[in-house]
Amino acid sequence: MKSLQRPPKHPFKWLERFCDPHLMEGISGDLEELFYENVREKGRTKAVVIYWLQSLGFVRAVFKKRPARVSNLKAVWTNYFLTAFRTMRRQKYIFVINLLGLVTAIACSLFALVYIYDELQFDRQHAEGSNIYRLYKRYINVLEGVDHYTYDTSGMMGLTMKEEYQEVADISRMLPWWHPIIFSYKDTHISSEGMHFVDANFFEFFDFEVVAGDPATFLEAPSSIVLTESLARRIFPNEEVVPLGEQIVAIGDLEYTLTGIVRDPPRQSSFEFEALISWNTTVPGVGQLEWEWMNGWLAQGIYTFVKLTPESDAAQLEHMLPDMMHRHFEERAEQYFLKLQPLAKMHLHGEDIRGTERMNSGSITFIYTLAASAFFVFLIACVNYINISLSRASRTQTEVGIRKVMGSSRRQLTGRFICETLIYSMLATVLSLATIWFLLPFANELSGKELPFSLFLQPISLLMIFLFTLITGLVAGLYPAFILSNLTIATVLKSGSTKIAGAGGWTKKGLLTLQYAISIFLIACTFVVMKQIHFLQNKPLGFDKEQVMVLDIGNEVHDHAEVMENMLLEHPNILSISKGLSTMGNASYTITVVPEGYTDNLDTRIFHIDPVFFETYGIEKLYGRTFIRGSMADSNQLIINRAMMDFMGWEDAIGKHIRINEDNQSLPIIGVVDDFHVHSLTTSVIEPMILRLNTWRNWYMSIRVGHGDLQETISYVNDAWDQFATRTPFDFHFVDDWFNEQYIKERNLLGISAIYSFISLILCGLGLYGLTAIHLQHRSKEISIRKVLGAPVASIVAMMNRQFLIFIFFSVLISTPAAWYLIKKWLDQFAYKISVSLAPFVCSVILILLISSLIISILSARTALANPTKNLKSE
Amino acid sequence: MKGSNLGELEELIMLNVALLFDEAYGVAIMKEIKTRCNRSISISTVHAALARLQEKGFVSSRYAGESTERGGRRKHLFRVTMAGQKALEEVRSQRNNIWNEIPSIAFNAK
Repeated sequence: MKSLQRPPKHPFKWLERFCDPHLMEGISGDLEELFYENVREKGRTKAVVIYWLQSLGFVRAVFKKRPARVSNLKAVWTNYFLTAFRTMRRQKYIFVINLLGLVTAIACSLFALVYIYDELQFDRQHAEGSNIYRLYKRYINVLEGVDHYTYDTSGMMGLTMKEEYQEVADISRMLPWWHPIIFSYKDTHISSEGMHFVDANFFEFFDFEVVAGDPATFLEAPSSIVLTESLARRIFPNEEVVPLGEQIVAIGDLEYTLTGIVRDPPRQSSFEFEALISWNTTVPGVGQLEWEWMNGWLAQGIYTFVKLTPESDAAQLEHMLPDMMHRHFEERAEQYFLKLQPLAKMHLHGEDIRGTERMNSGSITFIYTLAASAFFVFLIACVNYINISLSRASRTQTEVGIRKVMGSSRRQLTGRFICETLIYSMLATVLSLATIWFLLPFANELSGKELPFSLFLQPISLLMIFLFTLITGLVAGLYPAFILSNLTIATVLKSGSTKIAGAGGWTKKGLLTLQYAISIFLIACTFVVMKQIHFLQNKPLGFDKEQVMVLDIGNEVHDHAEVMENMLLEHPNILSISKGLSTMGNASYTITVVPEGYTDNLDTRIFHIDPVFFETYGIEKLYGRTFIRGSMADSNQLIINRAMMDFMGWEDAIGKHIRINEDNQSLPIIGVVDDFHVHSLTTSVIEPMILRLNTWRNWYMSIRVGHGDLQETISYVNDAWDQFATRTPFDFHFVDDWFNEQYIKERNLLGISAIYSFISLILCGLGLYGLTAIHLQHRSKEISIRKVLGAPVASIVAMMNRQFLIFIFFSVLISTPAAWYLIKKWLDQFAYKISVSLAPFVCSVILILLISSLIISILSARTALANPTKNLKSE
Repeated sequence: MKGSNLGELEELIMLNVALLFDEAYGVAIMKEIKTRCNRSISISTVHAALARLQEKGFVSSRYAGESTERGGRRKHLFRVTMAGQKALEEVRSQRNNIWNEIPSIAFNAK
């Protein structure tokens, strides 16, 4: 009877899942008893329904299963931690390798994360930022082979846009001055590089904290000046409260009224001003400077910011701008193509746009390089950890087996191994923070950015660090935990150690290959960057850049330049002195000319120099003659460079005439000199150039110094300077230094990629060391037996080497094409570049091979040289 | 915990547990209450009350020996503990005290 009329199974099943097992038996028994009774009294169908309902009645909190008691769980986890610590202590070298790897990886990645986060936060304080665009242009001149982007715009472009397009709500112009300016107040003379001319609405566009004065009006009147706190403190060292309304002497030796004080621009700002002078000062008829060029169409070099109405579309406006150019600036309409860049992109994405020198600009290439390198290093370290954990499987297997026998579930075992990894990653995070604290000054120097350590402790960073620790633990721990806990009890306890030693064999090999591929990739790239920078710094510039000192004499010294020159020339170590308007990197500008036999206007670079220029700079004369000292006639003659001659295709340039548009004169050419570079080699190629005798002010004095005592010579020049300059501090630079400074971004890139590839190399080496050591441990008996049977040490070492070298071979196959592609792209941005050769790849592969086989050979030789009885007698 | 006050149902169940001494398990208690008080209580309610009483320490439980009835499942037997007995006595004496002090006219007042 009973067997026919068992109660339905389902309610019982899920009740069993829900109910406390202790109560379950009594409950189900009662239910069943009632069921039989009901079957007898009411029939089966009704009984089943009642059974269901009654079962449902047990879904109450009182019957719910209790989790295993807390104290028990605590014991389990304490045990996990204990075992993890014991494992770490037992195998010290593995512990060190793992920890070192993770510390490096986490330190590198954290630094990169914080650095990148910091860079992305630039220029975010401006409330109107999302509507503000920076005007830039593409400058195309097919005839002269010019095609580049530049931020240089003219004063009228923005104004006209505002007048003619309703999409433009407002515009603001800015001109950071090229040179340091002396600010004088009574007897205090302070030199500052941060002088900007700005439109009156500068503070409507950009949010900077104002300390004193009314930002709505304080840049309205001509000759108004607004200072930052730090500059004000230097100019007025004795005043508690800076006196507004005081007169300060600045650019043009004119007086400016102090109308406001603002806080220094925050660290994360592309604008780096110290003093702001009202734009109206320069407007002819309004201000005292009356500079036509800043308020016209022709002269470029002014930065324009455009604020659009919220609903308008920047791309659409861009399409209308050529039309504006045609109507107002016909002569350049086919050369200048105006574009708009969102303000938020200005800091990082202005790399291939020229004219960033006078602002604090970042580099997206650098960001990508940093991110990729950090990620790679992180990956390598995780791979190390995974591989070592897997190789240790045979050691761990007994533990896994016993735990399984004792009833550990797979999930618990996974937890046990992840727990170990988490201990590692937490320890590593703490240590890496310490490392960062210790190494931050060096890292800052390398990357050319001032990151304070407090950045790493701000809430968002701490959150990042926490997540990172967790991610590291999971990435590095999950796979080994999965594999290790997967072992079946039988395999584990049967002591088939060799079999398990190869746990995750293919994964391990794959990961090793990946690791090497990354390392080779990084090293090869670093080699190329290094070669390119070396190339840039050592390419002949067409003149002798060593030992030339440049002084800025566009100040009070100017009127005494002759006297000073004569004084200086008396010094035996000063060989020659050249004065002029132009010098390398400075004050050379382009003018339009019409050479003989040429119908169009030609943009050409002009240098205003004196006759000694060629001697001082060691520039070679090719044809004709150079200027003669004291010859008045020569001021109406020209010298050209070889590029000009080649551009015109002249066989003999001497005697040809070039018409100079601005003074409408046609001047004859008397000589041709060799090409020389006047700008950084990253962007500029040699342009056609004309050189004229300078008849106007001398801005620069170039001094060629001999090979005598340099320090003594400099102090001699300094003494001479002080006789003539009372306000202007002595300042100078060497031409070769100036050129080297142009490659600062490339050098930062090199610094970071060198460090990261070095780290990747070390980590790879460490990982290989760990792997080999474990591998040799497993095979120590085999090796001993081989030795007993007569194998020479060399053949054992070779055998071990062979195994690993295969991976390296594969990794070369993977990394070379990737590196090749990337390197090509990076080099493309340079005007002068090296050609990509095989050398960097070969070098990096050889480097990796050498280090790897050194590690393997030393380790395996040690095992092979050990007394075989030691390894064999244990059984 | 909610404190050690006895609910009315709990009191009733405990009394029955005591009454059924050594045969007090879910179904038996339920039926006893049905016959004595004519009150239908669902089996799950009985079990819930018993579980709560056990948490309070008023009843203790054990499983009876193996049997072939009820699909081979053992009976979950309950017994009133000392604490349970005390609690019951307390309730009872409180009630008695109140009964004793109720003035006789209280129930006759119209």
